[in-house]
Amino acid sequence: MPLAEQLLDASLWASVTRALIPVLLAAIGGMICERAGVFQISLEGMMLVGAFGAVAMAHVSGSATIGSAAAVMAAVLLSLILAFGAVSRDGNPIVLGIAINILALGITSFLLPQLFGVRGTFQPEGGVRIPRLLLPGLSELPFLGPVLFSLSFLGYVALVLVPLTWFVLFRTPVGLRLRGVGERPMAAETLGVSTNTYKYLAVIASGALTGLAGAQLALGNVGVFAENMSSGRGWIAVVAVLLGRAHPVGVLGACLLFGFAEAFGFRLQGQGLAVQITDAVPFVVTLIALVLARKRFTRLLDLSETKI
Amino acid sequence: MRATRLLAVTAASMLLLVACNDDPEEAAEGPSFIYITPNPIGENEFLEMGEIGTEAAAERFDGTARTFESTDPSSARANVEAAVEDAPDVIVLTTFQLTDLGQEFAQENPDQDFVLIDDCPEEPAENLFCVGFREHEGAYLLGIMAGNLTETGRIGSVLALDTPFFHRWSNSFYLGAESVNPDLEPDTQVTIGGDNPFADPARAKEQALALVAQDLDHIFSVGAGSDIGVFEAAEEEGFFTYGTDINNCPVAPDVIVDNNLKIVDVAAETAIELVLEGEAEPFTSLGLAEGGVGVMAIDEDGLADSECLIADHPDIVEQVREAADEIIAGDLVVPDPLDG
Repeated sequence: MPLAEQLLDASLWASVTRALIPVLLAAIGGMICERAGVFQISLEGMMLVGAFGAVAMAHVSGSATIGSAAAVMAAVLLSLILAFGAVSRDGNPIVLGIAINILALGITSFLLPQLFGVRGTFQPEGGVRIPRLLLPGLSELPFLGPVLFSLSFLGYVALVLVPLTWFVLFRTPVGLRLRGVGERPMAAETLGVSTNTYKYLAVIASGALTGLAGAQLALGNVGVFAENMSSGRGWIAVVAVLLGRAHPVGVLGACLLFGFAEAFGFRLQGQGLAVQITDAVPFVVTLIALVLARKRFTRLLDLSETKI
Repeated sequence: MRATRLLAVTAASMLLLVACNDDPEEAAEGPSFIYITPNPIGENEFLEMGEIGTEAAAERFDGTARTFESTDPSSARANVEAAVEDAPDVIVLTTFQLTDLGQEFAQENPDQDFVLIDDCPEEPAENLFCVGFREHEGAYLLGIMAGNLTETGRIGSVLALDTPFFHRWSNSFYLGAESVNPDLEPDTQVTIGGDNPFADPARAKEQALALVAQDLDHIFSVGAGSDIGVFEAAEEEGFFTYGTDINNCPVAPDVIVDNNLKIVDVAAETAIELVLEGEAEPFTSLGLAEGGVGVMAIDEDGLADSECLIADHPDIVEQVREAADEIIAGDLVVPDPLDG
C-alpha cells in the first residue's frame, strides 16, 4: 500500500484513537491541576494504579463497570498523597509526583503476586472487557464510523470532556475561580475563594480521570494487566498538558499528535523505517514542547516565588 | 535452688543445640547454587523454568538452590553483589539483561563460577560459562508452517527489540517460509520498542493490527509479556500467530499455530552439571539436536494435547519433522543472524 493511501486508511485512524484515549483522559486531568496551579506529574503512576485496580476488581466482580469504578477509587486515593503533600503541607509537587510514580510501580508489582499469585501479566477471569459501543447509524459511516463512533464508553467520555472542560474552565464561575487560584492565588484568596479546596478538588479530579485512563488501557485497549503497563503514557500526558498550554483544544491537539506519531510510526516500521527513529519521536516532540513551554514555566516559577 | 538453676542452664543449652541443628547452613553440606533473574518471575514461565532447572540440579547433587529476583538493573546489580558475597558453587544468571553484570563480576571474582543462560559476552571471562539456544532452528520450523498455511502470501514478525538477537526469530521464520513457498511477498518486521518493550501488550496489539491492515495473515510474536496483545489482536481480527519460549497455545487456542520452545530447565541443569564436573566450555549451544530448543510439532507425545493449531495439519507436521531431522543431521544449516 502506498504511503499516501495508508494515511486515509480507517484502521490507521482507529489505531490513533485507541492510542489517544488513555493519554487524553490523563492529560485532561493534568490540565485541570495545571490550571489550579498544582504541577501534576504523577499521571504515570495513577494510570498504572488505575489499570491495576480495574483489572483486579473486574476479575473479582466480573464487571467492567465495577472495575472502572475501582480504577477511579484507586487513583483518587493515590492522588490524595499529592493533594495533602503539595497543598496542605506545601511540599514540592515534583518530588511528590516522582515518589508517587515509584510507589505506584512498586505497589502494583507487589500486590499482583500477593493477590493473584502471578507476576508479569494477569488476565481477569472470563476475559472481562469494557465493551465497544457502536453508535446506531453513525458507526456505519465510512471512515468516521470505525474511527470515532465505535469507541468504548470511556472513549466517548474522553472526547466529550474536551468541550466540557473548555466550557467549565472559561464560561462558568467555578472555572474562573479555579483559574484564579492557579494564576493569582492571593487575589482569589482576597475574594474569599478557598484556594486549598479548589486545589484539592483539581487533584482529585485528575486522579479520577487518570484512573479512567488506566481502566481504558487495561480493560478497553487490551484485556490484561502487565507490570508497568502504562509504559510512559502518563509522561506523554504531562507533556501534552505543557505542549497544549493547558487549553483543552491544545491538549487534544497534542494528544492527537502523539497518537498519530505512534500509530503512523508502526506503519512506517512495516515499510522498513528503523524502530529507533519511531521510538525517538515522543522525545523529540517533548523537547520541542519544553522549549516552547519555557516562557510559561518561567512565569509559573515567578508566580510561585511571589506567592504570599 | 542451685538444682533449678542447673536445670535451666541445661535446658537452655539444649535448646541452643537444637537451634543449631535446625540451621540450614549446617544441614546442607552439598553444593549451593544461586539463580538470579533480571525481572520478577511471575507468570514468566521462561524465568520460572530456570528456577526449576537450578532446583533440579540442587536435588540431584544434594545441595541447596536459592533464587534472587530482580526488578530493574540496579536491583539486579545488588543481587549479583549479594550472591558473590555469599560465594555459592555456581551463580546462575539468565538472559541478555544480565550479560554485562555477569562479565563484570566474573572478572572481578576469578574464583567464583558463573553460568549465563541465553546469551554470552564477546569474550567471556574464564569463569563465566554461557549456555545458548539456537532459536533460529525452531523459528525456521515455524516458518515452514507459515509458508504452507499463508493465504495472502504475506507474513511477518512483531519483535520486542530491534537487535541481531531478536532477528534470530524473525529472519529465520521468514527463511523457513520462503523455503516452502516461492511466491511469498517480502518480509515485514516491526519492533515494539518504547519504554517497556517486554510488557506493553497495548502497543504490541496496535502493531499487530497495523500489520493485518497490510494484509499479513501469519505473524510471529517475539515480545515476552507483550505477546498477549498480539494474541488478542489475532482473536479479534482472525489472523494466525506464533509464540516463543513456552507453549502459549492454551492462551489462545484458535489462533496460535505453534511455538518456538526453549527448554530452559534442561539448559540450567546441564550447565550446572558441566561446571561442577569441570567440563564446561566457555560457550555451550543447545539446538534441536541437544533437545534445548523445539516446536510442539516435533513433540510426538505433547502435540495432541498442546491445543496448537498445527496438530490439525498432519501433512505439515510431517514436513516439519523431516526438516528437523535434516537440521539435527547437519544436512540443513539455518544461518545465524548473530554471525552476520
